[in-house]
Amino acid sequence: MDPLWTNIFHKKLDEESLAYFLKHLPIFSELSPRSLATLENIVHVRNYKTNETVFEENDPGSGMYMIRSGMVKIYAREQNGVEEELARLGPGDFFGETTLTAPAPRTASARTLENTELVGLFRADILELAERKPAISSSIFLGLTRVVSERLQAASLEIRRLQNQLGEDISPENVET
Amino acid sequence: MSSVGQSPRGWTRSQVALAFLVLSAAIACGLAVYSSASSLTGLSRAAFSVLFLPLLLSLVLSFLLDPLVSQMERFCTRTGSIFIVYILTLGLFLLAALWLTPHWQEFWSNMRTDFPRYTAQVIATLKSLMTGLHERFPMIEGYAFPAKVRIWAEQLMAAILAQTPQSAMKVGGLMVIVPLFTFFFLRDGRKIMRSCVALAPNRHFEMVRDLSYLISRQLAHFIRGRIIEAIIVGLIITAGLSLTDIRYAPMLGIFAGVTNLIPYIGPIIGMVPGILIAFVDLGAGGQFWWIVILYILIAQVLIDNFILIPVLISRVSNLHPLLVFFAIIVGGKFYGIIGMIIGVPIVSIIKITLLEIRAYRRTFRLPETALDSDRPH
Repeated sequence: MDPLWTNIFHKKLDEESLAYFLKHLPIFSELSPRSLATLENIVHVRNYKTNETVFEENDPGSGMYMIRSGMVKIYAREQNGVEEELARLGPGDFFGETTLTAPAPRTASARTLENTELVGLFRADILELAERKPAISSSIFLGLTRVVSERLQAASLEIRRLQNQLGEDISPENVET
Repeated sequence: MSSVGQSPRGWTRSQVALAFLVLSAAIACGLAVYSSASSLTGLSRAAFSVLFLPLLLSLVLSFLLDPLVSQMERFCTRTGSIFIVYILTLGLFLLAALWLTPHWQEFWSNMRTDFPRYTAQVIATLKSLMTGLHERFPMIEGYAFPAKVRIWAEQLMAAILAQTPQSAMKVGGLMVIVPLFTFFFLRDGRKIMRSCVALAPNRHFEMVRDLSYLISRQLAHFIRGRIIEAIIVGLIITAGLSLTDIRYAPMLGIFAGVTNLIPYIGPIIGMVPGILIAFVDLGAGGQFWWIVILYILIAQVLIDNFILIPVLISRVSNLHPLLVFFAIIVGGKFYGIIGMIIGVPIVSIIKITLLEIRAYRRTFRLPETALDSDRPH
C-alpha cells in the first residue's frame, strides 16, 4: 500500500498521547481507535501535588481514577485515627471503579505520595455518552464489567482460601469442645 | 516574578519581548474599555442587557433540541446532526409561517377597527353595571370607572401600535442571533460545561461534576416539559376555537400557549382576550359558553392539570404561588412582558438547583446518619 495511505489509516498512537495511555489499561484494551478517541474526550485529566487528598472515606463516590504518572496511597482510617495502608498504586493502576456504575460512599481514602497525574472517568460522563453513542459506551461497560468480575472472582477465591485456612486453624479446638 | 524564579531555564529574550507585548496590549485594551464606558459596572450592565435575552433563548432552544441532536448523533457527527435538526426545524417554522401569515395579516388589518369596538362594548357593559351599582351604593358616584378603563385601553392600543415596529426589529435580530448561539451551544455545550467544571479544585471536582450533570438533566427535563406543555395547550385552544365562528383563532391559541408558560396567572391572562372577543362578537350564547368551557375545563383542568403536568413536569419543581407573584413582578420590573414570562422559570431553575444539591447531600449522608442513630446515647 502507498505509504501515504497507511499513514492516514493506520495512524500509530503516539506514546505520549492520552489515547495510548488508555489503550494500555486492562479496562479499555479492547476498544477500537474510534472509541478511544471518544473516550479521550470524556475523561478528565487532573494534576495533583504531593500529599493531596483525592478522596476521603465516605465521600460521595461517582467514578474511577487511573494513574498516568506518580504514586497514590489507598488507606483506611481506624477508630483511633491511625491510617492503615491498604495499597500503594503506581502508573497504569486504577482505583474507585466500583462506584462508576453504582453511586456509593467511598470505602477507603486515597492520597497522592508525589506529584501525580490522574485521569478521572465519572458516571455522569458515561451516562451522557450512553445517550449519544450507545455502542461505544457499551464496549466501555463491557471492559469495566470484565475487570470487576475478574477482581470479584479473585476475591471470592481468596475468601474461600482464607475460610479453609481458618477452618484448619480452629478445627482442633472444635474437636476438643 | 515568582514564575520566572520557578522556571527551570529562565526566560529567553523573545519570550520576555512577547510577555512585554502581551502585557502592554492588555493594559491598552483595559484602558480603552475603561475610558469608553463611563464606569465598568455601566459597561457590564449594557453588555448583560443586550446579551441576556438572546443567550437565554438560545439556552432554552438548545435544551429543547439537544435530545433530538443526540439521537441523530448515533448515525453521523455532532455537527452533521445539528444541521439535520436545523433543517427539520426550519421546515417546521416555514410551514407554520405559511399557515399563519394570512391570519396574521387579517389580524393586523382588523385590529385597528376591531379594538375600539371591543373596548366600546366592554365600556358600555361596564357603564350599565355602574348604573346598577350607583342605584345601590350612591356614594361611589364620583368614581368614573368606565372613563378610566377607556383611557387604559387607548393607552394600551397606542403602546401596541408604537412598539410593534420596534419589537419586529428586535425579533428580526433575534432570529439571526439565536440560531447562531444555539448552534454553538449544541455543538460545544459539553465542552463549555467541562471547562467550567474543570475550574473546580481537585478535592471537590468529583462532586461538582456529578452535581452539574444532575442539575443540567433536571433543568433540561423542566424546560422541555414546560415548552411541550405550552405547545400542546396552544394547539388544543387553536383547534377548539377553530370549531366556533370566533375570529383570530390561531392568534388566540398562540397567546394562550405563550402565557401558559407562567404558572397560576398565565392561563387567566391567556383566556381574557379570547373570552372578551367571544363575548363581544358572538354574544352570551352557546358558542360563548363552549369557548369558556374550552379555556377553563378542557385546556386547563383536563389537559394541563390532569394529563400534561403530571406526565411532563415533576411536582417537585412546583413553586409556591407567592413566589410566582414575586417572580412575575420582579421580572416585569426588569424586562417588561418578556421578564414576566421568564421570571418564573428562572426562579424554578434556582429552586431545582438547590433541591438537587440537597438531595445529593442527603443521599450520601444516609450511611452516616444511620450509624449515628445506631450508636448508644
